[in-house]
This record gives sequence, structure tokens and C-alpha cells, in this order.
Amino acid sequence: MKFVINRDHLVRSVQDVMKAVSSRTTIPILTGIKIVATESGVTLTGSDSDISIESFIPTEEEDKVIVEVIKPGSVVLQARFFSEIVRKLPKDTVELEVQDHFVTTIRSGKTEFNLNGLDPEEYPRLPQIQEENVFKLPTDLLKNLIRQTVFAVSTSETRPILTGVNWRIENDELTCIATDSHRLALRRAKIETNTFSSYNIVIPGKSLNELSKILDDSNELVDIVITENQVLFKTKHLLFFSRLLDGNYPDTSRLIPTDSKTDIIVNAKEFLQAIDRASLLAREGRNNVVRLATLSDGIIEISSNSPEIGKVVEEIQSELVEGEELKISFSAKYMMDALKALEGTEIKISFTGAMRPFLIRALHDDSMLQLILPVRTY
Amino acid sequence: MKSMYPKNGRVILHVDCNAFFCSCEIARDPSLEGKAVVVAGDPKERKGIVLAANYIAKNDFGIYTTMPLWEAKKKCPQLVILKPDFDLYREMSTKVFQFLATFSPILEPASIDEGYLDITNCYSSGTPLQIAQQIQKGLLETLKIPVSIGIAPNKFLAKMASDLKKPLGITILRKRDVPKILWPLPVQAMHGIGEKTAKKLKSIGVFTIGELAKTEKGVLKDLLGITGVYLQERANGIDHRPVDPEAVLKFKTIGHSTTLSHNVTEEHTLIEVLRKLAYSVSNRMKRKRVVSSTIQITIRYADFQTVTRSKKLLNPFQEPEEIFEYAVKLLKQHWNGDPVRLLGITALDVLDKKESIKQLDLFSYEEDAKDEALLNAIEQLKRKFGEGIIQPVSELLNKENNLKEKIQLRYDAKQKRRGGESM
Repeated sequence: MKFVINRDHLVRSVQDVMKAVSSRTTIPILTGIKIVATESGVTLTGSDSDISIESFIPTEEEDKVIVEVIKPGSVVLQARFFSEIVRKLPKDTVELEVQDHFVTTIRSGKTEFNLNGLDPEEYPRLPQIQEENVFKLPTDLLKNLIRQTVFAVSTSETRPILTGVNWRIENDELTCIATDSHRLALRRAKIETNTFSSYNIVIPGKSLNELSKILDDSNELVDIVITENQVLFKTKHLLFFSRLLDGNYPDTSRLIPTDSKTDIIVNAKEFLQAIDRASLLAREGRNNVVRLATLSDGIIEISSNSPEIGKVVEEIQSELVEGEELKISFSAKYMMDALKALEGTEIKISFTGAMRPFLIRALHDDSMLQLILPVRTY
Repeated sequence: MKSMYPKNGRVILHVDCNAFFCSCEIARDPSLEGKAVVVAGDPKERKGIVLAANYIAKNDFGIYTTMPLWEAKKKCPQLVILKPDFDLYREMSTKVFQFLATFSPILEPASIDEGYLDITNCYSSGTPLQIAQQIQKGLLETLKIPVSIGIAPNKFLAKMASDLKKPLGITILRKRDVPKILWPLPVQAMHGIGEKTAKKLKSIGVFTIGELAKTEKGVLKDLLGITGVYLQERANGIDHRPVDPEAVLKFKTIGHSTTLSHNVTEEHTLIEVLRKLAYSVSNRMKRKRVVSSTIQITIRYADFQTVTRSKKLLNPFQEPEEIFEYAVKLLKQHWNGDPVRLLGITALDVLDKKESIKQLDLFSYEEDAKDEALLNAIEQLKRKFGEGIIQPVSELLNKENNLKEKIQLRYDAKQKRRGGESM
């Protein structure tokens, strides 16, 4: 294998596939990046066996030559060293040439590295996916779907299924749900599909976080292919495979309350800032809990008390308080996470009691909702 | 009298009961006076060790705390051996602290048998020395409890001072006396320096308190962290900690441990032991109406290697099943399979149930929501008739002596430090 490549394109591709490479893998060859050169271009692959990322660099783009392939072939290079090397090379072009025993020469200007490579035949094959069941999402919408749900996944392995985001597709609608059992985030979106089948899958939260990082902010369409145990996200030059989580995601639809006893409408920004102030002392204390109480005339009191540090009380004028009086305590962190995920200037919060989950929604947008379980005080 | 007190600064007493367990026994049964007396764990069990020895046993026969009982018997065949009666000691301890509280309200029980008293503003009762003499005489005459007292400008020096003369000593230790009196002593003599710290200090050539006092702060910080800086200050007679009557409420643990009758290598046996321990810990937590969210297990191997491992949980626990479950998890994670001699479970950072919170769970909140109607009814009653109208029974029972509780908690902490041989 021998090719000459534009360094910026190479750096970018290496960074993308590095998102899948883990130093703590049980399969030694997966600490490497697989490089394949063909007449049409160069493909890089990184994988930790849960996530696999393939990035393609075409020989030409917009009439500009990016890669000149002199001799097709392939090699696996240690990701840690290879990524550092290409980042620090002095010139705009890089030459890669595989010698005997996979020793690879990397040249740029007057610099020459010889890096011991591994046999690409040893590298596991990526899953072969039949591209029948495809649906499409614009990149920016996909990134929003991820941002608005993935923060709510569980970080504990006690219920592994909850470390993923549940995607349900039915009647041209995608519903994404994440919960760590203390709060829940839900987002719906219309999608274009070429099938009428419905899906119910759970994608690891970690995979979605990594995917979101390597996607550009554009409205180009991403192809999404779902199989039995894999999901594939496909853009022009990128393939992103993720393993799906095994097991049944709990049915959350019946856990989301449909009626309410107290409703409030507040300005999202003011409310977020009030919670943030109240939690200033609370997060230093034993736990980050704030209290909300409805007073008369649509006034809402936000307070927190940390005996060792001090206390804070703040009143905010709501736009509406309807229904029963209420005093409720909840995690300031969960509330702030939820408010940041929601869009819109006004939000409506619907309570059904001090020890029951409550819903937060943007006032004129029911495509997303956030649910939080309160804390019980004694 | 005010002239005998410093213009700036404080006067602190450290009151230390001499051979407290034995003193309590002798106070109850005066016929024991003049005899060599020890309090020891069950004499029939192999684990029997000396928990406390009176001064006759100590000075005339060389018996010390933690000495195996058989060895103590060999040294003194006529030794009086008593089983511990913790209820008696707690009761006596409460009386001692109640007596001390009559001199100054700034009283901090440090364990079942020692405490700090800030007498800075007590000049109307006499000079510091006179107050110390009144305390010592008063405790000996009314309760038959001998104490040693240290008088100093801070807690550390007071503690060191009370140690200098036992039994029935009264020692004044001024800051200017530190180089002459403390500096020649080995670092282990310092309160707060154990075997491990002493070993570390030795590695940088620090053997005496004087050498510690003169060591660069930065060097000690690298070696021991912020503790190193504190220790250096102490070695120079500086200690900024106030006597804090609430201190006892801040650091609280509830734990139980048990020495096994033989070295155990079967996991199921260990799990059964944990089950019993979990129930004991839970019972104590319920009695004290406290919860905890950090659980710790102690494993002591046959070679006396002791490991403690803890886990912080999201929600506070109190129920035996929960404690058992978490303890078993920790055991399975951290037990290396070697023979085990002792197992323990401790709930760390316990707090009053009323101060605790519980993050509700989407899949189980209904359990808690059931109480809602009742709590709403109580809330309405309170609003109508005032806060005191209705209270849980457990709370009404809680109105008894607060001090007693504080001492008990300190006592628990101390038992833990001693290796937790009680159960």
C-alpha cells in the first residue's frame, strides 16, 4: 500500500474514527486504526466492538485531489501513535507506505516515521447490513433528538437497559425516550421512511453521544438502518455502527401522567435562573434539592436550606397557577437538565401531588416532554 | 480572678477518665478497691482480650489494653476479670458529662470517657487550676470516678497535658512549654499520629515531635496532604479547632462487627454473618431514628490484614434487607478469598431521618405516594391548630435527654476505632 494524502482530511478522519477506539479493549487489534486504500480513495476504521466508525476519504472532492493512491492495500496502525503523528506532521501532505512485515513509513516534508503495523486480515469485519429498512433524518434534527434525550439515561449498570435511549418508530413517527428512573426525557419527530414496519430498539447512550460529536451541523440527510442487533447511521463519507442493547425497554407510556392537579406556567429563562440560584447553596450541601411552593396571586416560591451553609428564598411571578396548592421538593440538577433540553420561552409544569412525577413541557410544543420524580422529605 | 485568664485566647480543659470501665465497676462494687481489675471480652472465647485495666493491673503487673486474656492471667493469677457492662458505662458517662456541664456549657464529649470543656468565661468560678481541682475532687467524691485533667490554650495541648500525669493528674501546658515538654517525645506520642503516619514520617527522617515542628510545611503536605500541615501546627502548639458542643452530631457512624469463632473461607458462611450484622445495624439505626447513604464493610483476614470498602448510594437506607444486599455486594466485589477472621458492617455519615431525603423512582414511587393522603391530613391539622398538635409517637419519645444520645454516638465511634470487638 502506498498513497499520498492531504493532511487536514486525514487528521479529520482519524479524529472521527478515534471516537470508537478504546485503549481498554480485550481485543488487542482494536487499539489500532485500519487503513484501506483503493482506487476510489482511503477508508479508515475504528472500533471498540460496541461502536464502529468508518470514514471514507475520496480521491477527489470538488475537483480537488485529496488522495493519490499509488498502490492499493491495507494495514492496521496503533491508533494512539498514529493519531498523534498525523496531527503533528509538518507539511500539508502525508505519504504512507507499507513495507515488509506491515512496518509503515509515514513521511511529511523532511520528517519520516516508521511505525510497526499489524496484519489487517486480523481486524474484525464490520457487520454487513442489508439496506432495506432505511429512514432519513436531517443531521440537525438528529443531533437535537440526541441532545434532548441522552442526558437522562442511567449511568449505573444496575439496569443496563436504562443506559440506552429507546427509539420507537410507528406510523412515520419516531419517539425517543430516556430515563434513569428518576427523570425521563421524551422527544417525538416525524420521519421519512420507505417501509411500514415499526421498530422498538434501545441504542446505548454512549453511542449517541459519540455520534453527535462527529456529525456536522447541517441539514443534510442521515440514513438510518436498523437491524436485529445493530443500528447504522450513514452520511456521505461516514458509517457509524452501534450495537443495540438487549432486553425489553420498560413501557413508559402508562407511567406518564395524563391528568394534573396543579399547573403552572412560567418564563423558562427566569425559572431556570431561579433554580440555579437556589441550588447554589444546595449543591454544596448534602444533596442538591430545592423546594417549590405555590403562594397566592400566582407567586411561586423557590427555596433551599442547607443547615451548615445557609438558606435562600426567592419569589417568582408566574403567568399562571391553576389548581391545588402545592409544596414539592426536587433535584435542582434534574430540573436544570430538563429546562436546558426544552426549547421555548414559556414552559408549563403539571403536578399531580408532592410524591408523584411531574411533567415539564414547552407551552406550544408537544413534541417533547420532560418528567421528573420529586424527592421525599421527612 | 480574671487576671489568671489570658486576655486573648482561650482556656480549655481536657478531662480524661482514668481506666474508665474499671473505675465504673469499682464505683459499683467498692470491695474491688485495691485489687487488680480488668474488663475483658467473654473469658471463654478465644477472642477474649483486655478491654480496660485499672492502675494496679497496669503498674504492678504490666497488663495493658488489648493484651490477650490468657496472658494477663499468667501475669496475675489473682486478677479480677469482669465482663463488660456497657449500660453501666453509658450511664456513668452521662453523669460525668452532666457534672462537667455545670461548669461551662461549651462541652464537647470526645468519647465515652473523655471530653473538652471551654472555661474561658468561667473566671467567676475561680482560676483554671481551681476549677480543674473542683472537677477532679467532685467527680471522685460524688461518682468515684478518677480523672486526669489537662489545662491549655487549645484542645490539642489540653489533650496532651491530660496524658502527662495519670491517674488523678492536673497538668498545665502553655504554648511556651511545648519545646521543653513535647519536642523530645517521639511522634507517636502525639494525638492524631498512628503507626502508619509515624512510619511515613520516619521515611523522611522525622522521629520526634520537635523534628516534626521544624519540618517544612510543603514537605509534610506532599507526604500527608493537608493533615501534614495540621500536624506541624500541633507540634508547634497551634490548634485552631473550637470546642464544639455539636461536633458529636457531625461525624456519626453506626457499625457492628463480629470476630468469627474460626477462620472462615466459605462464602455462604460469611454471607450468613453479614445477614446478622445487617439486622443489628438496622436495629440500632431504627432505635436512633437515623438513616445513612454510605455503607462500609470491614474484612479482617487471618493474618490481621484489615480492609474496609464503602459505597455511596443515591438514597438513604435503614432496612436490614437493604443493608444486607449492599454488604453482600461489597463482600463479593472485594473479598480476595483468603480466610476471614472478622467481618463488620458500618453505616457511615448517619443523619437524622428528618433531615434525610429520598429521590423517588419512576417504577416504585407509588409506595411512597400512598402516604400522601395521611401527610396531607397532618399538614391540614397543623395549619389549623399549630405545629405541635400532632407528632409521630417515635418523635414524642425523642424528647428525652439529648446529651445521652450524643455520648452514645461518640462511644460508637470509639468502639469502631478500637477494632470493634463488641457485639
